[in-house]
Amino acid sequence: MKKLPFEGVRVLDLTMMWAGPFATKLLAEMGAEVIKVESPQAWDNIRTLIPQPGVEASWDASFYFNDYNRDKKSLVLDLAQERGREVFLQLVAKTDVVIENYRADVLDNLKLGYEALRAAREDIILVSMAGFGKTGAERHHVGFGPIIEQMGGVASLTGYGDDGEPYKTGISYGDPVGGIAAAGAVALALINRKRTGKGSFVDLAQRETMATMIGEAFVASSLRGEDPVHRGNRSARWAPQGIYRCAGEEQWLAISVRDDTEWAALAEVVGAAELAGLAVDERRARHDEIDTRISEWSREQDPQAAMERLQAAGVPAGRVLDSDTIHGDPHLLERGFWVELPHPRMAPWKQPGVVWRLAEANPHLRRHAPLFGEHTAELLRDLLGMGAQELAALEAAGVTSNAPVNPGIG
Amino acid sequence: MTDLPLDGVRVLEIAPGYSAGFAGRLLAGFGADVVVAGEPRDLTDDEQVWLLAGKRRVAAASFADIRPLALAADIVLVDWRLPSPPAPLPTSRERGVSDPASDVLVNAAEVLRERRDVIVVSITPFGQSGPHADYEATNLIAFAMGGIVSLTGHESREPLVTGGNQAYALGGLNAFSATLAAYYGMLVHGEGDWIDISLQECSAAMLELYGPGSAFTGMGASPRRGNHLRAVWGIYPCADGWAGVCCLERQVPAFFRLLDDPVLAEERFADPTLRAENDDELSAMVYAWFAGKTKADILQLGPEHRVPFGVVMTPGDLLANDSLAERGFFDTVQTRDGAARIPGRPFEGLGWRGARPPQRVDVAGVAREWSEATP
Repeated sequence: MKKLPFEGVRVLDLTMMWAGPFATKLLAEMGAEVIKVESPQAWDNIRTLIPQPGVEASWDASFYFNDYNRDKKSLVLDLAQERGREVFLQLVAKTDVVIENYRADVLDNLKLGYEALRAAREDIILVSMAGFGKTGAERHHVGFGPIIEQMGGVASLTGYGDDGEPYKTGISYGDPVGGIAAAGAVALALINRKRTGKGSFVDLAQRETMATMIGEAFVASSLRGEDPVHRGNRSARWAPQGIYRCAGEEQWLAISVRDDTEWAALAEVVGAAELAGLAVDERRARHDEIDTRISEWSREQDPQAAMERLQAAGVPAGRVLDSDTIHGDPHLLERGFWVELPHPRMAPWKQPGVVWRLAEANPHLRRHAPLFGEHTAELLRDLLGMGAQELAALEAAGVTSNAPVNPGIG
Repeated sequence: MTDLPLDGVRVLEIAPGYSAGFAGRLLAGFGADVVVAGEPRDLTDDEQVWLLAGKRRVAAASFADIRPLALAADIVLVDWRLPSPPAPLPTSRERGVSDPASDVLVNAAEVLRERRDVIVVSITPFGQSGPHADYEATNLIAFAMGGIVSLTGHESREPLVTGGNQAYALGGLNAFSATLAAYYGMLVHGEGDWIDISLQECSAAMLELYGPGSAFTGMGASPRRGNHLRAVWGIYPCADGWAGVCCLERQVPAFFRLLDDPVLAEERFADPTLRAENDDELSAMVYAWFAGKTKADILQLGPEHRVPFGVVMTPGDLLANDSLAERGFFDTVQTRDGAARIPGRPFEGLGWRGARPPQRVDVAGVAREWSEATP
């Protein structure tokens, strides 16, 4: 079996919430040994973000936390204590990559900035992914994914158009976007180290990564001064395009027509054959009327059957899969996208599999997210040679722990 | 040796659409020699300015034209389904018309399959296999089937697609990072790989708590919540535009101090569980507070009080933003209509080169360069 790309790469992961853990999830899927470092006093909030009254050790039983932290190891270390930092820097000496998504000033405040890490290992790679970067007038701003989406320009492009309101994406969109880019930054820094023998300090501002997702809008703005236009689900190029209600509660079908052939096929299927000869300009001018005709047809249709029928006729159409129906999508099921992993505290459930499908190395999910501190003793013993007495002393001093201190709601 | 991390890396894009073009754009910025063979597919003029910057272009009517490039490339990017006989050819958008790109891909696939030292990346709406692999799709269709659209927009209205081309862009961003991972693996372990990126899966893998929540709890689909997940997590109209707040529990006290209403000290607002039951009342207070503040006020208060505030910025706002200017984020590329400004490096710290307009070059010249270069 071919090796995974990052086999042999060790990552110390100080990230929390979504953006950073999403990055290190990708690194783990590609074979890296990812060691998630949390403090007894400051654990990853995702563990406790969703209240689970009555659940024992609920911080270890969060499906939300598990989704972003599979295939990682858990090391608990209080970096606010001098001894904790000492141990951390000993680990850095045996590590390829450190990654964090703290507020811009936190790592330096912990006395663990790039120079401190370099002193422990000359060619260390540090990837910092503060929301607004480590420099610049807005570096002190605090933000999660939705804020990043607003400050990165994407929310200004999203809206129905008739209410004047910009809309946020239904997920904290800035987080995974920053995470995917950060995983790429780690890979690029590793390539650079392979090439030059030198480490790197990568400063990833999540807001900038978000802006990169709408590059063409900057062309329009800088060349012609164009402001965003909210088109709802319509296209500036093609017509008709939209999302149409189907039979059943909250069932919807997306349709895009890119050319006259597709339009003729759609018109035939929806019973509007007399409109089949309309050119794109006419379709755009009569979009409201066409939407009405499509909706009159679609509201009687099962969305899955309607999608299959339109696709068979050569019309781009797709069911709007929701957070429930997506787990039954026959295509994703056949591709084996949903994976059920055993977990010591939770019954199995369908989790998303590996998106970067390397055909020959064949990455796949191996293990559930770690329990809090599950690997602390193992890692300190194996990597630093600590004995039982030293481990006990660390625990007695509160540097390590097997449970968060005062866990409440994240 | 330059300070560009991908200096000397040879990338071939075959008839790219948005996704492959985006991945290639980032690779080019970090120093790769990205050559676009054939005409880009379904890209507007603005998208071409953005996505072709920093690349070289060669004409390619058939695979014979670019065969030497395919034999010498380190990375090949396509956003078409790669045929593996006896699978059918990729479907042309213009049915009944001979599609040169199909022939190019058939032959490219045969050649590349023989090589062990190449990364081949395909970015398609539904991936290379499965019952929908040949489905026709646009950005809207791929995003809709990835689950995110169902969560976006107002609950009383139809689901709403996020602005721009987010399905395509996510595919391109994933392809960029996956390509780098695989390329590093090739440097270290000695062998390349084929990467199958599905736009649907890119979205389906990032459904926040909603996807795993539905799967774990069996409680059915999560509803759309418009701009307000709850009062302390949403977008509001402010005095001169739109602004947002996203508080975790630890940040709620600071936000409440700014709201400055004694009623917020009551248990029904202080306790997070009870607060949820009084969210409408709290929302009204938050609406009123934002209405009296300008975007500048809000941006000042955020870091002062460590409250996660933001404002809705347009591309024009960002082009004029001092912090981005200070960080040197934007590149400039010359076009026939003037100087266009486009996003530059997605992160700092590794060598990046400014954008230049795409250069049309002779395929034989590139083939000669690539065959003579030391990998």
